[in-house]
Amino acid sequence: MRFAWAAELMLVIVPTLDARAARAQSPAAPQPGRFEVAIGSLWTGHQALGSNDANETTSAGGSLTLFSTSSDLASAAGLEGRVGVRLRRRLEADVEASYARPPLRIAISNDFESAAPATATETIRQFTIGAGVVWYPPYRVRRGSRVAPFAMAGGGYLRQLHESAILLETGRFYQFGGGVKYLLASRPTRPLKGLGARLDVRALVRSKGIAFDGGHYTSPAIGASLFVRF
Amino acid sequence: MRRSLALALVAAMVFGSVQPALAYLKFGVTVGGAQMTLKWAQTPVRYFVTDQGVSGVSATDLQAAAGRAFATWQAVPTASIAYQFAGFTAAAPGRDDGLSTLGFRSRPELDRVLAATSFVVDAATGTLVESDIFFNSAFPWSVAPAGEANRYDFESIALHEIGHLSGLGHSALGETELREGGGRRVLGAEAVMFPIAFVAGSIAGRTLKADDIAGISDLYPDGDFNQALGSISGRVTKDGQPIFGAHVVAFDVARGSVVGTFSLNAQGDFSAGGLSPGPHVLRVEPIDDADVESFFEAARTVDVDFRVGFIDRIVVVPRGGDSGEITLRVVRK
Repeated sequence: MRFAWAAELMLVIVPTLDARAARAQSPAAPQPGRFEVAIGSLWTGHQALGSNDANETTSAGGSLTLFSTSSDLASAAGLEGRVGVRLRRRLEADVEASYARPPLRIAISNDFESAAPATATETIRQFTIGAGVVWYPPYRVRRGSRVAPFAMAGGGYLRQLHESAILLETGRFYQFGGGVKYLLASRPTRPLKGLGARLDVRALVRSKGIAFDGGHYTSPAIGASLFVRF
Repeated sequence: MRRSLALALVAAMVFGSVQPALAYLKFGVTVGGAQMTLKWAQTPVRYFVTDQGVSGVSATDLQAAAGRAFATWQAVPTASIAYQFAGFTAAAPGRDDGLSTLGFRSRPELDRVLAATSFVVDAATGTLVESDIFFNSAFPWSVAPAGEANRYDFESIALHEIGHLSGLGHSALGETELREGGGRRVLGAEAVMFPIAFVAGSIAGRTLKADDIAGISDLYPDGDFNQALGSISGRVTKDGQPIFGAHVVAFDVARGSVVGTFSLNAQGDFSAGGLSPGPHVLRVEPIDDADVESFFEAARTVDVDFRVGFIDRIVVVPRGGDSGEITLRVVRK
């Protein structure tokens, strides 16, 4: 293990001392120990939250449906920030936070007394904070390419604040997916070593929070951000 | 100083009412010009059972079934009310003797009245002094665990009447249809305190619902009821004017439970407590599944000329607080 640490330290130190050596690396692959800060937008797709009926009890002990409801969290775009650090050449650890305002909708139908169908809505303020890992596969689009594909997985804490700010729901989220990073500019000898863009597609799984039946619900998500490397 | 309110609050029909207090249909009395909620000042509420049985129900059966019904109310974890069986008595219910008594009486002229609850109130303090329940022996009764065809389940009807004895009025959480020859048949109900009983043979009325639990807890809050649960409040308007007597139903989307209340004053104000925190759907409807007199004094003008509808926003009940002012606008039929 000591040898491994020594090797890692060498990899951190060598690029800072030898710019020519750094140029020999792929520009999309920073060395371990490097930080990356990103900010961008995150679009989260529609998330069904299940159905529930307002029932009354019949004389036989059965159910009579007064009306039915079906709930969902509509798609929304929000902000996302991330700080990552290279642990190894192909492995990065991230902490991230996001903010979005998805509309919560409850569609009401099938009223026993024929009330017109309706949709009740409110806007949720949703905050997440989490952590994850990014893995870069051992191949490139072409040698020296500025494009680096990656796979990602992570999870974290979810806070959803109702519109009137009088009730907070908490839960967890998990996500996995993949994407690419494209290095727009590379300056290995400067403190600010690079500027790039990141695009990823994820499956976002949320549990608890505003999940009326306590289940897990999955929705697609697309993230697009700009990052800088130090 | 005592005066009897001479109420007949029944499972099958109602004869009168008192002014409802805001939040739930609980009873109120006016003392010194101020309205007070009618409730027991001290618990356990001691009750006697008459030593007279009827066909199929002995005095011992009567006491056992009534005891189960009292125990059901007492078991509500968020309510503090308690009851205590004080013994058998030869006195019939309805006598102003300072003793709360349950028992049978033959009232064949009341051909749609299964049972009724009466009160004696201290007019100086507004507190309950006595409450009697009579069960009409003109009807066939049963205490069989699984019920009996063509016989009314004593425990179910006792559960309803004990709700009245405790201070609860009627709930409108039920759907009915008119029967040929008069009267209504219950299609579904989600409150023991719905004024019309299930058909003979049914035992579906032995279980308290969310509406009943919220009501009794609102009257006799216990534990963290006020901190853990929340409330809604607002007003109902039609053509910009407040309306009285609109039935407002709050549906807890996460738990699937319903709690009802009414707009209860000239400003159209409504409120309901004991709601679980979280998003709710609000439905408003006119009273059309029971006689209006089952809920309000006959002298009150209840507006039933509007369509059933829903509010177009999600109402969020906070933990230990109120939703804030909600306006429910209804449309004329």
